[in-house]
Amino acid sequence: MKGNNENIYLPYPARIVRIVEENNQIKTFSLTFTDPLRNESFEYSPGQFMMVSIPNYGEAPISIASSPSRPGSLEVSVRKAGALTTAMHAMNEGEILALRGPYGKPFPMKSLEGRDLLFVAGGIGLAPLRSVINFCLDKKKDFGSITLLYGSRSPEDVAFQSDIKCWQEEESMECLLTVDTTGPGWLGNIGVVTTLLGRITPNFARTSALVCGPSLMIRFVLAELSRMGFSDENIITTLERHMKCGVGICRHCYMDNTLVCVDGPVFSLAQLRIMQDTELC
Amino acid sequence: MNDHYILKKDHLNSLLRRLMKEYRLVAPTKNPHGDTLFSIIDSIEQAHIDLASQPQGSIKPFLFPQQEVLFDYEHSATIDYHFEHTPDSIPTAFFGVRSCDLSAVLYMDVIFSQKKRDPYYFEKRNEAIIISLACNEPFANCFCNATKTGPFLEYGFDLQLTDLNDRFMVETGRAKGCEIVKRFQHFFEPVEERDSKAQYQAFLEARSHFKQQVHVEQAIKRLAREPIPEEIWESLSLRCQDCGGCAYLCPTCTCFTITDLATSASSGRRIRSWDACTFSGFTRMAGGHNPINSRTHSIKQRFLHKLKYDVQEHGRPSCVGCGRCVGICFGGVDIIRFINKACGQN
Amino acid sequence: MTNSINEIAQAQVILVSGSNTTEAHPQVARRMFDAIDRGAKLIVIDPRRTRLAEHAHIHLAIRPGSDIPLLNAMMRIILDENLADDLFIEMRTENYHALRDMLYQLDLDETAEITGVPLAKISAAAQLYARAQKAVVCYCLGVTQHICGTNNVQSIANLAMLTGHVEKEFTGVDPLRGQNNVQGACDMGALPGHFPSYQPVNTAEYRTKFEQAWGTELSGTPGLSLMEMTHSGPQGAIRGMLIMGENPMLSDPNLKKVEATLKNLDLLVVSDIFLTETAALADVVFPAASFAEKTGTFTNSERRVQMVRQVIPPLGSCRSDGEIIMALSQVMGYDMRYESMAEVMEEIALLAPIYGGMFHDRIEGCWGLQWPCWNRDHAGTSFLHKYYFTRGRGHFVPATHEAAAELPDADFPFILNTGRVYHQYHTGTMTRQSSSLNREASEALLEVNPQDAARLGLRTGDWVELSSRRGSATVKAHITEQVAKGSVYTSFHFPAVAINLLTSDARDPKAQCPEYKVSAVRLEKINP
Repeated sequence: MKGNNENIYLPYPARIVRIVEENNQIKTFSLTFTDPLRNESFEYSPGQFMMVSIPNYGEAPISIASSPSRPGSLEVSVRKAGALTTAMHAMNEGEILALRGPYGKPFPMKSLEGRDLLFVAGGIGLAPLRSVINFCLDKKKDFGSITLLYGSRSPEDVAFQSDIKCWQEEESMECLLTVDTTGPGWLGNIGVVTTLLGRITPNFARTSALVCGPSLMIRFVLAELSRMGFSDENIITTLERHMKCGVGICRHCYMDNTLVCVDGPVFSLAQLRIMQDTELC
Repeated sequence: MNDHYILKKDHLNSLLRRLMKEYRLVAPTKNPHGDTLFSIIDSIEQAHIDLASQPQGSIKPFLFPQQEVLFDYEHSATIDYHFEHTPDSIPTAFFGVRSCDLSAVLYMDVIFSQKKRDPYYFEKRNEAIIISLACNEPFANCFCNATKTGPFLEYGFDLQLTDLNDRFMVETGRAKGCEIVKRFQHFFEPVEERDSKAQYQAFLEARSHFKQQVHVEQAIKRLAREPIPEEIWESLSLRCQDCGGCAYLCPTCTCFTITDLATSASSGRRIRSWDACTFSGFTRMAGGHNPINSRTHSIKQRFLHKLKYDVQEHGRPSCVGCGRCVGICFGGVDIIRFINKACGQN
Repeated sequence: MTNSINEIAQAQVILVSGSNTTEAHPQVARRMFDAIDRGAKLIVIDPRRTRLAEHAHIHLAIRPGSDIPLLNAMMRIILDENLADDLFIEMRTENYHALRDMLYQLDLDETAEITGVPLAKISAAAQLYARAQKAVVCYCLGVTQHICGTNNVQSIANLAMLTGHVEKEFTGVDPLRGQNNVQGACDMGALPGHFPSYQPVNTAEYRTKFEQAWGTELSGTPGLSLMEMTHSGPQGAIRGMLIMGENPMLSDPNLKKVEATLKNLDLLVVSDIFLTETAALADVVFPAASFAEKTGTFTNSERRVQMVRQVIPPLGSCRSDGEIIMALSQVMGYDMRYESMAEVMEEIALLAPIYGGMFHDRIEGCWGLQWPCWNRDHAGTSFLHKYYFTRGRGHFVPATHEAAAELPDADFPFILNTGRVYHQYHTGTMTRQSSSLNREASEALLEVNPQDAARLGLRTGDWVELSSRRGSATVKAHITEQVAKGSVYTSFHFPAVAINLLTSDARDPKAQCPEYKVSAVRLEKINP
């Protein structure tokens, strides 16, 4: 890459290699840059995001769902929400979109080494955590036990099912699923994701919690984790915001005196507590 | 140490004409409808260069346009997307820029380079020469004395002019200003003691001519110390009519948005446009959720960004005391009113 | 407006009725804020708790369509409290006894009951207004868009005359115009029965004047009103129409009737700057020049005539409205030729007495002139009725309550009120082209009171099927205390929610203005 003279707003074309339909709202896209050199030099860490665009439909920040420990393709999971994501859902394998990034502060993977990890996710919020989970599973000896608590609206909404199937087969990993409203054939837990927190007994000194989901869910989960005994430094979340530049200039993602695109999107509860105006705590 | 020279007013036009041979000249001009705006001068004779009024806008639009094309794109069945931008900016001399507006440019220099270097800003900025004009007579809503961005500056300009009736005191600041003096040496005469005295006198008088008493330092201190009572935010936000005029006119407001303008199904341009943090759509996400939901929050961001967050980050506020938001606001939600309220006055 | 906009800032009491001033007239609201900062008191009459109502010292949240009972109650209280301006009534008005007799027959409690506002509040507002030295009434479409719109306006005039709040600076009655040049259009005779400057077509003297000036014979019979034209139905008398800069296919009530009318014309010609919903139905479309591509004048709410100047030549094959009219009339056999818009203005000055002293050279390079401006030496008029009313004496026209044409019932239990939002303008022909404005307001939202919402199981963001006897639309709910229980409110800017499919085309018999502010509707939650 060209270093300081690079035009930060110019994206690079990338081809959709594979599309997985996770549920009727979420698709996962595997992407490779059309320029092979860029594929080779491209590096990222779990928790970072890409600015994804389709010309004429605009650009939006989307967190990376794949793990850098599995090179070859970059994956983003997208929920149909606005004009751009709707257009993405209409695309086929082989088609081209545009990418720039990676941006943002990743999860503190170094300082998580040696610790037990508790992942709490809701809906599409599993996407950035999936990157971390697969990263940890690929470096099992660096991390302790892994627990995933995953909430969905209904049994049909449970996304990332093939991942979950793999994870359930992992010895060092436990997966607990829940749905807000049950449906035919569902044998798992019913209720919001915080209800699963009562079913685990983490060692607080040794465990870090990583949380992602809708803001209301994050808010309740952070409060509950804190009440259970996790320290604020060991509760880590990643936030979704409206962004335009991704590099700390346009200010759409302001939160108090921070910009989520460069100071986040990963924040510990300790960092969030200092802020006066957030919807999260 | 800045060098000082004298430029007789009789020779100003002649000097500007010389500059125009090498630069595009931008200066405050009074248009036929009575508005003074920075505009591109095609002819010194026909333009009415107005150094007596406060320009209604700053030079922000010339460095960071209200709307600019980031790049054009096109694709077809055979060609993949190709994204490219070729800089094409014109060397420009800005003449008659007030101290506040120059300070705003210095702030933009930081904003557009600190986190990442913004190529679009710097391709214009690097081609700019700024000849500033110190303010002998502050305008109705000015308070640059309180933000320490005027009425006279000590650095940041290429050249700073001070009006001494029949002549200008000319100070060189940055290298480009020194070059101009060197290139057009015959226009500049040495300074005599009476000139320095006159400049000092003008400086003293200007300081005593401010019509607004705005306690910026006190407000900054209070904001750093404690939260502002919620009633103040509520009373201000109830009056904000969401027009964005303050941000558009503010010389330091640099928030922007990026949108695609389709020119056909397979081509278009990605455009950057000014935006305002007071708009509710500024933070609303696709799907409708807005993390900044309460009506008071956007007003908070505007004032706290300028007077608290930027002080934390850059050591000084990003309000330059030009007073333009005081004139433009429909509801009186201007920074002077906020500062007064924050300082416990009504 | 009898006053100038700036005068509002100096008033001591401002009575605002049926105006969402902060959203629809922000520059007027700015003067109201200035007045409040100077200590003025604000009274707001509005069924909704608008942003301005939040600033009000007294908010009279009346039931939609109960303006007359409210104003009558205020006037009766003013009489009872001996706050009427007897000298003004004596010197400047007539027919006072009719008003007084009507007011004395009122049962105050009963009248207050109709409005839904406690009598004590009405009394406080009446006394505040009557006691002021300088008081203005600002009103807007919330007053006029009722079947009794004319009577509503006359009742406001009654109130102002009763208290003598008319003839002075900073004191008067100020209708806020809905669009930038509505005033100018009316001034220029875009009314069924008037030549420019409000000279009736059925007065021979005026007709002769215009016949001589234009060298042609003119009809002395008033023409049809807008509603009579756009709602005449498939077999209407009008067979051809030229529509300029107007989008009745979104703005007029009961759109199905409008569509039936326009689609069955022999010829529909539309001239506009964008291909509007109406232009889409046209046989011929003339691309018109925008404000930046033409020269002329606009007249604003305060009767101020200001220049609009051409900045760029018309794009493509666009032409200015004036050029389109001239070219059309030449083709139709009338040789209309003006060298410039300045020449048109000279003719206006010649034929329209209130514009008598207005020439381009006088209104250029300044903020224009306010009519009446009788001749070249006249400085224009900042406020009206200084020594006498235009008609001589101010005529009191007592009015009594008239219920809205369509009241809620078991089938359609809600009252629908319609209006505008800040970031869109009228039918959105222009504003919907802006991505920034669309981001701020991209769709119509139906405001529903929380109590009604709870009963219907509605949450903000839910989709609602909104229907009236005339049509239906699917709209997103927005739960807010801004609307009263039993009422809903939405805007008419968006073709996706063509709310005027639902609105009632009942109209005021005198002004022919439709009752956009009251239609009976039903709400059903749906999953689209």
